[in-house]
Amino acid sequence: MFFLKEETKVITLHPSYFGPNVREYLINRLNEEEEGRCTGDHFVICVMDMVDIGEGRVLPSSGQAEYTIKYRAIIWKPFRGETVDAIVTSVKPTGIFTLAGPLSVFIARKNIPSDIKWEPNTVPPQYTDHADQVIEKGTSLRLKILGVKPDVAAINAIGTIKEDYLGPL
Amino acid sequence: MSRNMLDHDFGSEEEDDDFNPAPAYDSDNEDARPTHQDDDEDEEDVKPARRVERRAGSEEAEDNEDADGHDDEEEDENDDDDEEDEDEEDAVSRPKKRRRRGGVHNFFEEEAGVDEDEDEAEDEEDEMAELGGEMHPDDMDALPVGAETDDRRHRQLDRQRELEASMDAEKQAQLLKERYGRNRAAASDAVVVPKRLLLPSVEDPSIWGVRCKPGKEREVIFAIQKRIEERPMGSRNPMKIISAFERGGAMSGYVYVEARRQADVMDGLQDMSNVYPRTKMILVPVREMPDLLRVQKSEELLPGGWVRIKRGKYQNDLAQIEEVETNGLAVTVRLVPRLDYGLNEDTGAPFMDPKRKRPGMNPAVARPPQRLFSEAEAKKKHAKYLSATSGLGGKSWSYLGETYIDGFLIKDMKVQHLITKNVSPRLEEVTMFARGSEDGTANLDLASLAETLKNSTAEDSYLPGDPVEVFRGEQQGLIGRTTSTRGDIVTLQVTEGDLAGQHIDAPVKSLRKRFREGDHVKVIGGSRYQDELGMVVQVKDDTVTLLSDMSMQEITVFSKDLRLSAETGVDGKLGMFDVHDLVQLDAATVACIVKVDRESLRVLDQNGSIRTILPTQVTNKITPRRDAVATDRNGAEIRHGDTVREVYGEQRNGVILHIHRSFLFLHNKAQAENSGITVVRTTNVVTVSAKGGRSTGPDLTKMNPALMSRGAPGGMMGPPKSFGRDRMIGKTVMVRKGPFKGLVGIVKDAGDLQARVEFHSKNKLMSISKELLVVKDPVTGQTIEMGRGRGGPRVPSAAPPSGWQGGRTPVAAADSSRTPAWGGASSARSKSFHVSRPWPTILTERSSTCLGWHERFSHTSVEERWIPYLKPL
Repeated sequence: MFFLKEETKVITLHPSYFGPNVREYLINRLNEEEEGRCTGDHFVICVMDMVDIGEGRVLPSSGQAEYTIKYRAIIWKPFRGETVDAIVTSVKPTGIFTLAGPLSVFIARKNIPSDIKWEPNTVPPQYTDHADQVIEKGTSLRLKILGVKPDVAAINAIGTIKEDYLGPL
Repeated sequence: MSRNMLDHDFGSEEEDDDFNPAPAYDSDNEDARPTHQDDDEDEEDVKPARRVERRAGSEEAEDNEDADGHDDEEEDENDDDDEEDEDEEDAVSRPKKRRRRGGVHNFFEEEAGVDEDEDEAEDEEDEMAELGGEMHPDDMDALPVGAETDDRRHRQLDRQRELEASMDAEKQAQLLKERYGRNRAAASDAVVVPKRLLLPSVEDPSIWGVRCKPGKEREVIFAIQKRIEERPMGSRNPMKIISAFERGGAMSGYVYVEARRQADVMDGLQDMSNVYPRTKMILVPVREMPDLLRVQKSEELLPGGWVRIKRGKYQNDLAQIEEVETNGLAVTVRLVPRLDYGLNEDTGAPFMDPKRKRPGMNPAVARPPQRLFSEAEAKKKHAKYLSATSGLGGKSWSYLGETYIDGFLIKDMKVQHLITKNVSPRLEEVTMFARGSEDGTANLDLASLAETLKNSTAEDSYLPGDPVEVFRGEQQGLIGRTTSTRGDIVTLQVTEGDLAGQHIDAPVKSLRKRFREGDHVKVIGGSRYQDELGMVVQVKDDTVTLLSDMSMQEITVFSKDLRLSAETGVDGKLGMFDVHDLVQLDAATVACIVKVDRESLRVLDQNGSIRTILPTQVTNKITPRRDAVATDRNGAEIRHGDTVREVYGEQRNGVILHIHRSFLFLHNKAQAENSGITVVRTTNVVTVSAKGGRSTGPDLTKMNPALMSRGAPGGMMGPPKSFGRDRMIGKTVMVRKGPFKGLVGIVKDAGDLQARVEFHSKNKLMSISKELLVVKDPVTGQTIEMGRGRGGPRVPSAAPPSGWQGGRTPVAAADSSRTPAWGGASSARSKSFHVSRPWPTILTERSSTCLGWHERFSHTSVEERWIPYLKPL
């Protein structure tokens, strides 16, 4: 689910950047560092705007300046039970690896409908029910997130396509 | 008779506390008695049903007995009842009896058709004997049974037949019905006879505890049994002992004898070895009698169940119960054999004196591993011990006195040699028993396994907060979270349904843990997947399928072996080793741990080969260097955490886990083998993406020379390398600090930081930090300034010979007052200020980008200032 979240970030700046363009530089830094970041809990999709860029404070003994920036960002937090569209990145006998945006979702063999079978002999290998459903690398899938495992700087999820209206699009 | 008592299961429903012995026999009914006695001995372990019947019959007798006391005549009366019961017993054991009678009693053979009647005839005849024809007891003792009554029996039979013939069929039927029907009714009644009515009373015979030699209890019992056989009831000097039993280990040193009087016991045990009736005999109080015979409800062993072997070669090995003897004392188990097929014993055997060879001489030679029996191997060296036996269904081999069927060892074991509690078979052990199937699991009866495991459910497998579900019993279907555990009772707070919020106690056995799909769980025990972390993909009753985080493989375990896990990251630890750790195997080999088993590690070494090693084989663990840098095929910088792809070959890609020399250990989640770890050479990879969106192009922060020289982590260059012969060697130096301060010597050898100095004063070589050395002119003693950038000594007091020295930033040099942070920096930072070659080169490459910001900060052009210093030093 997407959220608009207000966050703060502290950026330390080397004195060599102090100058008329410091603000621009800070914005660049913020965008660079924040956008696409995964906190382990959510993904920062996009920094919307700066609410407030505090005034820089020179740190004693180092000369660097510390800016506290308040900004708003669109974040995405995957939830269990959420249905997302994803793209297959690889198919393995153990299951299907997909990417739903920045989130990698694994669909285990058990969560693939039993009529969709592993077909290793085709090139590229695929899961197919020998009819219109073919899952290979690059296929778009609609899947339901079964579980989300937060990691230090990543989120791993498992999903299922063993339900109605799920599967290749 | 005596053994009969022993074999009763007094804990069981129907047969509780059979303290009502058959009444003492009279010498009158001698013709029937002795044979009966024999039969009874022979049929010690008779079917329970029969015994029930028998008891039911004798119950009436007891009632009578209770009512009238027990004088002899009264017992005679009862005998009729007893007799009948025994008749039935006889009916069961007819053939034996027949055989034994033989000889003189050929007549009886002809009357095979009228078994019952014959006995009845005997009975009636007995009565007659009582009334009229008495015999001298001595005669009876001497004569074979029934010898003197042959004639009478004939007449008796004739009369009987006449009588029967005269009776009409209906009457006969009624008679039969009366006789047997009652018994049948009694038999079914016996099930519901209240226990307390079966308990012994004061009227019953007493039980004495008699001292005996500890460990010889059973022998004594057998001796008593033998004596009873020798001196049966009808004999001249009958044993008056009704029964005898021992309680083995629980009450060693005692045998218990049931008799009417103490004197009977004394008499019966007279001159018997190992038993001491003369010592103080204990009269067991009536109240304690049932306790004495209470059988500890032993673990019920069922075929198919799992046990472990207590000792011997198969100690702690898992065994499956094939068969359980009816007495529950011996079982036939199936084991995976540990055989060496004579390989060990034959090594060097021809050269050695066989006498000197002792078994078990080499304890280091561990028992052979568990492997299914192979006749091919057995034939190699032990063909003479091997013989095939055509078994039912399967091929069976007899090898060294043991039986092997389908590769398994079939062995008879006593229950006391088995561990029946807390067996907790592990899945991999059980898979060995899966008969016939290659993959093993297919044939597994998971349900029976689950049942076995349930019995061993340790209470600690439930922790407060575990989500649980009651799956049997009255509370079936309740869902809650555990709040506390006490022994086998778990208190849970109901979370769903009408009872939500209430606390309910439930036995562990009726609980199972509840997991939802997607839960992140950890395997806590009971299987070889211990400590694996994963996410639940399927829940089916008691079994949970989870997807291992590590290997992306599906694992099926019992829910009781799982626990919700909050842990993230890698699982499994063996001592200091963890999956993905880099370890040094020997001087030239490093390896990455791909799997941690309970005792071993699976590693992928730098050459790409997988091996299994013991933790002891690891020389040391390489602490990961997060800041290690390498360059890929295109010369781009790659670091830990970057994603790279192989250029040739399989084009594998992955995230860099470790950089070791020119090898990269990559991790790819989508790869199942080796937990997703591969090893590649740095020269074979190209960068796909850098960690954290670090641009593969020039890094602005890096470009700032000020930051570089600040010694910011990651940005700092290593100390300059001096090439060739160190310039200090051979120089005369003086130590300016430390314990050797002031001493003068000659540098004999020099490394990067240290120099070996031979002092003039002491004839000794000392290693001294180069920083502490001042080069002196050997003649004048004047301080000589060594060239910069060589790590050479500097004279702190001496002013730099030029305005520009070391890695000092041009900015700082230009106007030191502007940047106070490093304006005054000099001596303290002397080391880190050395310019190393690499960065000026980088600078030239990237100078265009550098210019951008430098101009923005309106300083003088970089080229102007820097170019002079970019010349090779």
